[in-house]
Amino acid sequence: MITMSSLLGCKNLTVQFSGQMKPVLNIVSLDFQPGENVLILGPSGSGKSTLLSVLAGIIPNHIEAKVKGEVIRKQKVGILFQDPDTQFCMQHVDEEIAFSLENRNVPTEEMVLKIKALLDMVGLKVGLHGKIDALSGGMKQRLALACVLALEPDVLFLDEPTAQLDPASRKELFKLLKQLASSTGKTMIMVEHVLDGCMEWMDRVILLNKHGEVIGDGHPQYILAKYKSQMEEAGIWRPEVYPYEWHEIIRNKNHPLSKQLNEKYLQSKMKKEALQHNTDSLMSAAAVTISYERKTVLRDVNFQFGKGEWISIIGKNGSGKSSLIKVLAKLKKISKGSVVFKDIHLKRWKESQLYEKIGFVFQNPEWQFITKTVYEEILFSGEQQNVRQESAEAKALELLKEFGLLNYLNRNPFNLSFGQKRRLSVATMLLLNQEVLLLDEPTFGQDKHSAERLLCLLKKRQELGTTIVMVTHDMNIVDRYSNRVILFDEKSLCFDGHPFSLFSDDMLLEKTGLIPPLHYAYERAVKEEYLLGKQSILLVPN
Amino acid sequence: MESNQSCLSQINPSYKLIAHIIVMVMLMFIGNPIKTLVFWIAFLLLGLAIGGWTVRYLLKVMVPYCLFFVLVFWMLAAFGKGDNEIWQWAWFRITEESIGNGLTISLRMLAFVTIGLLFTSTTNLHLFMMSLIHQLKVSPKWAYGFMAGFRCIPMFQAELVQLKDAHRIRGYKQRRGWQSFKRYAIPILTNAIRKSERMAIAMEARGFTGSRDRSYYKTTAITPIDVLYVSLLLLFAISMVFL
Repeated sequence: MITMSSLLGCKNLTVQFSGQMKPVLNIVSLDFQPGENVLILGPSGSGKSTLLSVLAGIIPNHIEAKVKGEVIRKQKVGILFQDPDTQFCMQHVDEEIAFSLENRNVPTEEMVLKIKALLDMVGLKVGLHGKIDALSGGMKQRLALACVLALEPDVLFLDEPTAQLDPASRKELFKLLKQLASSTGKTMIMVEHVLDGCMEWMDRVILLNKHGEVIGDGHPQYILAKYKSQMEEAGIWRPEVYPYEWHEIIRNKNHPLSKQLNEKYLQSKMKKEALQHNTDSLMSAAAVTISYERKTVLRDVNFQFGKGEWISIIGKNGSGKSSLIKVLAKLKKISKGSVVFKDIHLKRWKESQLYEKIGFVFQNPEWQFITKTVYEEILFSGEQQNVRQESAEAKALELLKEFGLLNYLNRNPFNLSFGQKRRLSVATMLLLNQEVLLLDEPTFGQDKHSAERLLCLLKKRQELGTTIVMVTHDMNIVDRYSNRVILFDEKSLCFDGHPFSLFSDDMLLEKTGLIPPLHYAYERAVKEEYLLGKQSILLVPN
Repeated sequence: MESNQSCLSQINPSYKLIAHIIVMVMLMFIGNPIKTLVFWIAFLLLGLAIGGWTVRYLLKVMVPYCLFFVLVFWMLAAFGKGDNEIWQWAWFRITEESIGNGLTISLRMLAFVTIGLLFTSTTNLHLFMMSLIHQLKVSPKWAYGFMAGFRCIPMFQAELVQLKDAHRIRGYKQRRGWQSFKRYAIPILTNAIRKSERMAIAMEARGFTGSRDRSYYKTTAITPIDVLYVSLLLLFAISMVFL
């Protein structure tokens, strides 16, 4: 409810985009206090970003929509968007920050000092006149944040600021935001999918449902406890540790979460022991070096895999993971070494024959769509490879049923939801019973339900004998689904083996900055705690 | 567009641009191969002397154009008209006039490339846009919009490669011409519109209005050296045309 004191909020706010039947936001009334850190949660399509846009004034100033109700906005706001690349309009770091200052009419002679101070503030250690294109995703988001802070905003709006970052950069950005929130006392209103690392320092969580209505509003602990089932149902990712304290879980073996983590750890361990080794080689890489514009991306990579394996490929952004799976699909050239698939050099495979056996799912499913309906889309590769019409049609219907797309036969692929698009792009790769399926971050940006559904489908395929090779950042998926993990770091392969062995190798984890799934961290912390306890007992008699 | 740290990069970009364009136009009035050659060499020397070029750089950049030069020359020389025949075989007929024309046109092309390169290799995009705003009174809306657009070019290139790969995997047979152009252009353009919309929103959200009421991080001005450069260049071109 808007009171006299509140300077930011809305009352009975309803927003509807033209051409849509239902409003995205439905009679929303909110009121924000200065200095508050607020997290907005909701299933995809619940109007979280729309709410942010309305409060920040992007709607209706820059995006058109029917807005009903009352909105009170702050004059000076800053918005950090999720895509690092579409927030910049200059070539160099200093020019980009200066752009914000210029817009505010800051005198020229004050600019250099201000730019330096802002770079310090966001912890970006690059040359003043560094090229923006040379920055990593995490550094770009820091720069974008510096540009927003240059506006000296009273309120900071953050629209999924870490969505495009790898886990290590995400952790760093959250740390920076938390520190800024406490040091500057700015109001922060954030939409975010990943809650670990940000929910702990939020003052308040607002929960929206899929109709765009506010169903919960309060302290994070209260929301997590009270709306557990609603969040589960809506497919909202939950934080792994919060609201519990980490040290409390480690000390207390009877803590519910301790039991859960211990059980998970034992399961992972058992999975490793149960694994049978597959000796026949389906595909192998020997001394493969990949370069891009004269720069080496990966050096001297050797590995081989057999039928029915699930291989996860991990590493920081830009470590050459995507390049490698492109090489395996003959989409990218090798500068040195060779790849052999089914005892024949990849070079000698004819494209049309190779792609009957290998499927590739791109990060952006839209790139792969060619036809006008979902049904034709599935049939397409069959037509290209002259598969018999009837058998192809029967197979297509089967696949559509399996992937839950049977009701959308005549829909244009571009009009599906994000999760459906992703499933369709996988299904199109299976008509010819491809033996190897290469996937580039298939669960990226999906809610919990869609991600789990897709992984289940892939698991079934794997059990039928399909080899799955997947690039991912999600270590829980690596641990749960794959029987092999390949880690790239510093331009070379630095681990190839079972996920359990990788996540138990503390030295390697430390060296590569890899964050293992929580149950490994738990097991390690308990061990350390135990050793520490033993030490102190030994020390007492002295 | 990045500038090197040469003398020429200190010249006001929009004055430099205007001077180079006028010189190019005047070059078109020269129909003599020897004069055109002198013109071209003069600009090569200018680049080497104050444009920060090295011979290695020149070789690397100019080799593809030299191949093009041979091609254009051969086409014009072997198929051109003329009376004083020098050599004939099958349908090739080379005359004195056709050799002259061929040399003029192909050398003119090389000189054009050199003059253009002299501008782009010594000009910083940001300063160029600033000088458009300050000296040529272009609206900041256009200049900043252009800079934002410039950022998109590498993004589109990367996207086109991805799109082609994605289609190849599906077994889509590459067709030539209009068909494949349509296939790739539509998704890329739709994506471009989406991206530019996002960029525009981000720019406006940072307080960009497009009006002249703003301060500038870097400004450009006219110095006597700029005037000297432009007048010397024009003087050279005029003397080449009329002498």
